[in-house]
Amino acid sequence: MNIMLIDQAKIKTIIPQREPFIMIDGLLNADNSGFNSTFKIVDTNCMLDGTSASEGALVENIAQTCAAGFGYLSSLEGQTEPRLGFIGAVTKLEVFGEAHVNDQLDTRVEILNTFENIHLIEGTVRCNETELLKCQMKIVLA
Amino acid sequence: MERSEIISTTKKFLSEEFEVAIDSIQDDKNLRETLDLDSLDYVDLVVLIEENLGFKPTADDFKSVETFGDFYDLVEGKLKMA
Repeated sequence: MNIMLIDQAKIKTIIPQREPFIMIDGLLNADNSGFNSTFKIVDTNCMLDGTSASEGALVENIAQTCAAGFGYLSSLEGQTEPRLGFIGAVTKLEVFGEAHVNDQLDTRVEILNTFENIHLIEGTVRCNETELLKCQMKIVLA
Repeated sequence: MERSEIISTTKKFLSEEFEVAIDSIQDDKNLRETLDLDSLDYVDLVVLIEENLGFKPTADDFKSVETFGDFYDLVEGKLKMA
């Protein structure tokens, strides 16, 4: 069982997204090199295509892992509101498999580089150690 | 690294990454306009500089860079300090 930094009950304190568009349950760890999150796909998820999560849902899961990670690090510096940001670009997208209802996703974000408030990250979504999707994103923090 | 090597290395990686003709990269040409850079592209440029020239520029470093010649001056200065 993973020990979380921020669990589902408190996730909204560090991300700006709100229901029904929350695509992350908890933040497992966060430091200046990257973040890990967890997310269970439930049958009420708004980005389901039948019983499968859309690729967009997994990309959003990576983006919200970034939101949670940067939000958590900002909270350590005294910020009391979730940090706003947006996806500037998605590149090098590779899809290896589908995620389904009841799957537990493990997402890793590596911060590859930073220039001012723009972060180049690589995100990987896994389920049971199997890679489902990988991409790079430019995340711009407000 | 000599300035001539800086120029040839820079021309190669910039033309490949930003898909511009290598001949369009001239010392007196504006770097941002020639490469059609927007603010998001600068993080790619930083990655390329780190990979190809071995240092990480800051936002302040770019304040003195308008032309490719300015950029080569920046690189020369950084490499001398390293």
